[in-house]
Amino acid sequence: MRPAERAIVLECVSKRFPLPGTSGGLLALSELSLAVGAGEFVAVLGPSGCGKSTLLRLVASLEKPSTGSVAVNGAPPGLVSARHALGVAFQDHALLPWLTVRDNVALPFKIAGRHVDAPAVARLIELVGLAGFGNARPKQLSGGMRQRASIARALVLDPEVLLLDEPFGALDAVTRRQMNVELQRIWSERRITTMLITHSVDEALFLADRVVVMSGRPGRIIREVVVPFARPRDPEVMRSEGFHRLVDELTSALDS
Amino acid sequence: MKRTLLGSLGIALFLALWQAIGQFKLAGISWPPLSAVLDMLSDASRLPLFRRALSATLASTAVGYAWGMIAGLALATLAHLLPWLRRGSDRLAAVLNSVPSIALGPIFLVLLSRDSTPAAVSSIHVFFIVFVSTSSGLQRASAAHRDLFEVLGADRLERFFRLEFPAALPPLVSGLRLAWPAALIGAIIGEWFGASRGIGILIINAMQNFQIVLLWCAVMLAVVASLFFYGLLTIAERAAYARFG
Repeated sequence: MRPAERAIVLECVSKRFPLPGTSGGLLALSELSLAVGAGEFVAVLGPSGCGKSTLLRLVASLEKPSTGSVAVNGAPPGLVSARHALGVAFQDHALLPWLTVRDNVALPFKIAGRHVDAPAVARLIELVGLAGFGNARPKQLSGGMRQRASIARALVLDPEVLLLDEPFGALDAVTRRQMNVELQRIWSERRITTMLITHSVDEALFLADRVVVMSGRPGRIIREVVVPFARPRDPEVMRSEGFHRLVDELTSALDS
Repeated sequence: MKRTLLGSLGIALFLALWQAIGQFKLAGISWPPLSAVLDMLSDASRLPLFRRALSATLASTAVGYAWGMIAGLALATLAHLLPWLRRGSDRLAAVLNSVPSIALGPIFLVLLSRDSTPAAVSSIHVFFIVFVSTSSGLQRASAAHRDLFEVLGADRLERFFRLEFPAALPPLVSGLRLAWPAALIGAIIGEWFGASRGIGILIINAMQNFQIVLLWCAVMLAVVASLFFYGLLTIAERAAYARFG
């Protein structure tokens, strides 16, 4: 990968959290390096507590590395966030309960101090399958619909990178699968550089161009797999033998 | 439905008990029956007196309530936006609250006019409640919401107006509800320091002249004024929780 093609670069990053009763604190990430190409979808897979969310929080400007460097399109994440170019969706949908779906999706425009592009908001609401729910409040929606709204909000400013931290982690298995299919469709239309944190092997393989497996604490990258399936992907691909073989391979890497 | 029924039943029982105790003088002569109090309250010749007293007290309460609310909101907001101010303002509010208002009365009397003392005492009561409820309300936004605003590149004011303040509204309105009775008490206490009219004056005069029924009338007026606005603010509180909760 040439430097110009790398949208997200983590170089030799360690992250240590202060922990009372220990001298050095808790080492969450240890000398981790990872690059995500422009327009690439990378899924980070790991056991719980391996620091994969910390990894995303570093890119999202929510944490600073203890050592090493993090850059998004060559700039520190704090600057990228200040120019309103990060899109993010968490496991918690984080929709504002007092705003309608439309106003929640339009929120990034207002925070950025930009004129709300109403047609763009409407298009995104439709793209995530919430047409007709623009005036609903989050309370009136199901868990899956709230995540759709939260993904629409993440995309509304055409961010330079899209950061997804287990966005479907709180959903039931059936809804989660549907959401994966939807996200695959939405992403195929936009092709934004994306980093997805997940502990679901199926989800990672179905959505990503490349899957990175992390070890337990301190988090390090122990495995990388380039996903060979062509896009757009049909859910049928999840039944293919190649898919099953990769699931087995990654599952055993996770267990080791 | 069942709750309303039980509630009405409780109130009816209370009023009946009041009437019975007064009627049979179970608590001596200083407990008049409810009917005597209501008779006096509806006595046309006394109506101007009650109206003057009630409107004077309500006016002081409203002024005190407004100033206390503005001061509480302003200080809590400033302390939230300027962290170096936080500790000092918490202390100031706690100290102000620990001074009994009956002790503050004479000071206000010296500083202000007799007729503005009720509003001043009232505003002190309201200030503390609004300050505390606003301060805690402004901490109420969830970690996920704060993270979201951070990633979206919101500055301090954007975060305040779009996230923290709306999230603080339910506890703030709860505070405003609790502040109303406190404001009324403050105004009545304030009147004891020499206001020219008001429920507090009515209470003192009735007490000193042993006009028992009149005393109960004054208390009744205070209770009704308190409950009426408390009820209105309870409705506002429900709306705030439904929308911003």
